[in-house]
Amino acid sequence: MASKIISATIRRSLSPRTLPHIRPLSTAAAVTAAAEPYDETAGISMKGVKISGRPLYLDMQATSPVDPRVLDAMLPYFVSRYGNPHSRTHLYGWESDEAVEAARAQVANLINASPKEIVFTSGATECNNISVKGVMHFYKEKKKHVITTQTEHKCVLDSCRHLQQEGFDVTYLPVKSDGLIDLNELRSSIRTNTGLVSVMAVNNEIGVIQPMEEIGQICKEFNIPFHTDAAQALGKIPIDVNKWNVSLMSLSGHKVYGPKGVGALYMRRRPRIRVEPQMNGGGQERGIRSGTVPTPLVVGMGAACELAMKEMEYDEKRVTELKDRLLNGIRAKLDGVVVNGSTESRYAGNLNLSFAYVEGESLLMGLKEVAVSSGSACTSASLEPSYVLRALGVDEDMAHTSIRFGIGRFTTEEEIDKAVELTVNQVEKLREMSPLYEMVKEGIDIKSIQWSQH
Amino acid sequence: MATPSRTEIISLFRSLLRSARQFPDYNIREYTKRRTIDAFRDSKTLSDPSSIAAAFSDGQSQLQIGYVAWTKIQVVVNDVLIKCASYIATVIDCRGARDLSRRKPFTEKPP
Repeated sequence: MASKIISATIRRSLSPRTLPHIRPLSTAAAVTAAAEPYDETAGISMKGVKISGRPLYLDMQATSPVDPRVLDAMLPYFVSRYGNPHSRTHLYGWESDEAVEAARAQVANLINASPKEIVFTSGATECNNISVKGVMHFYKEKKKHVITTQTEHKCVLDSCRHLQQEGFDVTYLPVKSDGLIDLNELRSSIRTNTGLVSVMAVNNEIGVIQPMEEIGQICKEFNIPFHTDAAQALGKIPIDVNKWNVSLMSLSGHKVYGPKGVGALYMRRRPRIRVEPQMNGGGQERGIRSGTVPTPLVVGMGAACELAMKEMEYDEKRVTELKDRLLNGIRAKLDGVVVNGSTESRYAGNLNLSFAYVEGESLLMGLKEVAVSSGSACTSASLEPSYVLRALGVDEDMAHTSIRFGIGRFTTEEEIDKAVELTVNQVEKLREMSPLYEMVKEGIDIKSIQWSQH
Repeated sequence: MATPSRTEIISLFRSLLRSARQFPDYNIREYTKRRTIDAFRDSKTLSDPSSIAAAFSDGQSQLQIGYVAWTKIQVVVNDVLIKCASYIATVIDCRGARDLSRRKPFTEKPP
């Protein structure tokens, strides 16, 4: 009897009138641009903040929306073709396996590799763990040294710290003030027992593109495996594993408009690089990563990579235009805006700005209608400024006010204009209240002030 | 297939734009509209009949996917949830009857 009541309530709540995801989503920009038929007039109230609609999404480095074409490719593998690709005995398994192999080829095409060199994992973090810890554990008799940079992703730095606790040596290369590493320093820190060089291709916080070909040349000269975290670079800049001479590359699905929870690891076959597996089990994925390969996610990642190859040129042109619009719009109304990281060797979709004489937390609190990030999503839980900006040598106060705007395939001009307007308003409001800014306007040099101790 | 005629191309363009309007999400709607317009504008200069036919069939396949995914989801999710509801209801029914007869008082520690 209780079951009848439960099923009746569920059936009632499922009627099309009340299913939440049929209602069109209105964003703050759309509210200004056109009248939506279903207006959420009450607005959204969450965590004590009230906003008029869903925020504008300008955080493409944290994650990206799933492209409808990718979703369409994934659906059959959730609904009807749901077999386990490792089942060898029936059609469900065969068709799943076929789909996984097709996706493998699609991913391999994007990076100019062979499908046999791609291993599917649960994301770039797992790939980084396999690369750093797996390689060093495999070659631990002869190779005891790892070289990486100070601006790497947290998972690489944490894996290196783990290796240090086990007794390996790790060199963290410093970066110049534009975010790029110094190739001479890299050359001089290579030893005879160096087992791995790990440098990320495109930084997730500041968007600088490291000189991958030159680093690859140095690694080839000294015959050291070169690992790169290309999660942010995939589908955005042209990647060629042979030109870059990489032995290992971490790729992530949800940064290229694919699903979350899937990634791929490229492992070179000639010359072969060996790793110790971090996930033991039934020997799937050539023993490197055991566990059932999630067919729908993998198919989604493959479709996303194929799309990225077709749309790379169009997206890059558009993202550069939008970035110029954003930067010029902000610079036209505000001074004291600094772009963190190199402006030449940079991916256009990642714009990391610091606003002088403004307090960072209050700026972010005021920008609730725009979904942006300060620092990376991994470090924003703690209150300290991002370690990447600290490595660049940015002053503490400027590091605190940094905002990262992420522009992607689906961003529109109206969203950029609205983001410019909101940012400028908020910064002007905060600067008006700031006594430091008043002093600067009068011509006093902040750095020369002797603050008295109370 | 044979080279498509001008009316066929224009009708494909209109259907693509019409389907783009149906997306509930603002960003995807705007992107689909803009991408269709830009793609047709860029392939205006194609003169080779085989490449025109290839571009046309590419556009037709885009019409099949895309918005269909979103309408499919609503049907599928509805279906799956309703099936789930009746399944969950039956499980609760059976479980409830079995557990009540077997449950020991809370004073005893669970095994």
